[in-house]
Amino acid sequence: MIRQGTTHTIQVTVNGQVYNRVVEARQLLVHFLRDTLDLTGTHIGCDTGSCGACSVIFNGQLVKSCMLLAPQADGAEIETVEGLARSGELDPLQQSFSAHHGLQCGYCTPGMLMTATYLLRQNPTPTEEEIRQGIKGNICRCTGYVNIVRSISAVAEAHRATAVGTTEGRDQQ
Amino acid sequence: MLLKSVEYVRPDTVPEALDLLRSNVGAAPLAGGQSLTNVLKHRVASVDLLVDISALAELRSITRTAEGVIEIGSCVTYDEIDHSREVRAGHDIVARVAAHIEDQQIRNRGTIGGNCCLSDPTNNLPPLLVALGATMNVRSAGGSRQVAAEDFFKGYFLTALEPGELLTSVTIPPLLSGVGAGYVSVSVAADSKAIVRAAARVEVKGVIGEARVVLARVASVPVRHRGMEDALRGAPPTAESVRAAAATIGNELEPIADSHGSSQYRREMARVVAQRAVLEAIAEGGGK
Ligand SMILES: Cc1cc2nc3c(=O)[nH]c(=O)nc-3n(C[C@H](O)[C@H](O)[C@H](O)COP(=O)(O)OP(=O)(O)OC[C@H]3O[C@@H](n4cnc5c(N)ncnc54)[C@H](O)[C@@H]3O)c2cc1C
Ligand code: FES
Ligand code: FES
Repeated sequence: MIRQGTTHTIQVTVNGQVYNRVVEARQLLVHFLRDTLDLTGTHIGCDTGSCGACSVIFNGQLVKSCMLLAPQADGAEIETVEGLARSGELDPLQQSFSAHHGLQCGYCTPGMLMTATYLLRQNPTPTEEEIRQGIKGNICRCTGYVNIVRSISAVAEAHRATAVGTTEGRDQQ
Repeated sequence: MLLKSVEYVRPDTVPEALDLLRSNVGAAPLAGGQSLTNVLKHRVASVDLLVDISALAELRSITRTAEGVIEIGSCVTYDEIDHSREVRAGHDIVARVAAHIEDQQIRNRGTIGGNCCLSDPTNNLPPLLVALGATMNVRSAGGSRQVAAEDFFKGYFLTALEPGELLTSVTIPPLLSGVGAGYVSVSVAADSKAIVRAAARVEVKGVIGEARVVLARVASVPVRHRGMEDALRGAPPTAESVRAAAATIGNELEPIADSHGSSQYRREMARVVAQRAVLEAIAEGGGK
């Protein structure tokens, strides 16, 4: 039970770090991440659940953080774009976006990266069609998606080559 | 965006949730929040207390009986329906429809209960559940009742639910041998808002037996087209007879006109999607 109220003390783990904060029930999760925790990597494009710029991984599930309220995150584990790079080194997906020019202005990129991260966890070797389906909730106004799909495909190809993940897909679970 | 001040509570059980809904006039259940959060942002409805039911275990299970009846808890998400063995076992159409609602993020949060209780005419599940003859299981602090899906949707953003009531689950009868279902939409883009759609459940025993043909986006709620259903009954399960039956769809429909299509366009497309949904149902039922 979380008691009834307009403010709540919540404990949230973001990228492995535990935060305890007092939040207003009306605060959107994306504002909690950006304004309260100062994790501004997660972007706001539309604020209506339409663009995907605010996508984060919430208890293992890809969600749009403008469509949740901060108190709903009590007890949750959240992954944001800030958590992808390790010790200053971009992760393979980020490197692939860089190598394949998967971004122009970069506004959609944090959401796109989290969506692709989730997609590749569910299915390490998606086809182009599956990639396009998977990123349907993320709008990019610049690239026309071609290089984004290419960036994700390259990581899928690498997985295929090393046969990583053929037993990790969710259908086998 | 800044929302109007609101209270939030996360009960541990359904009875606790029902008590909270009964004792707080301005309370609303919060399920996936994939519509309600936007409603709060736009301040189009006034909610004083959000009762978060999304994690209640009692509302999160899917069961399948030996007879093939499935019961889906109201807070089961579209993604869970898509990946459910119980659903796929005999109700592939339900999983397929859930798998194509908008996008992955919305499928990870949006629930079958919220999709129905919102009663948005563009929502995917209501016409399907009416076509399949589903039953909506409803509970309040005072008791429980069942409402046929056909009688559940009352108007734009209006259902048969009374204040204080929760939709707890949806029961869907089996699709036995010779019975198939179909679902066809004309939408703005792939997996997006429907301009017009049809769902059908058709029984074939040599000739067509019982047929349920439901149209969406031609009225404020999904409607059964009795004229087409009557024309199908007893007809051979062929493309010609289905086309002839679809010709009964006419001026009795007065669909809305908007930037995506005129009323006349929707009426003509209703004929096309109804025909295709019935043919899909016949093909699926015949394959069993
Ligand atoms: C960008 C975008 C595009 C979308 N496109 C589509 C689409 O193409 N097709 C589609 O079907 N949907 C679409 N949706 C809506 C989405 O499917 C929502 O998930 C759905 O409408 C509501 O379900 P929810 O679980 O999120 O409910 P909520 O948003 O939590 O609740 C919706 C309403 O139902 C009430 N409610 C919820 N559960 C219960 C219950 N068990 N008992 C009583 N009342 C309850 C709430 O109080 C609220 O009034 C879209 C949403 C967005 C943001
Ligand atoms: S800002 Fe959340 S989906 Fe656009
Ligand atoms: S790179 Fe500019 S919006 Fe995608």
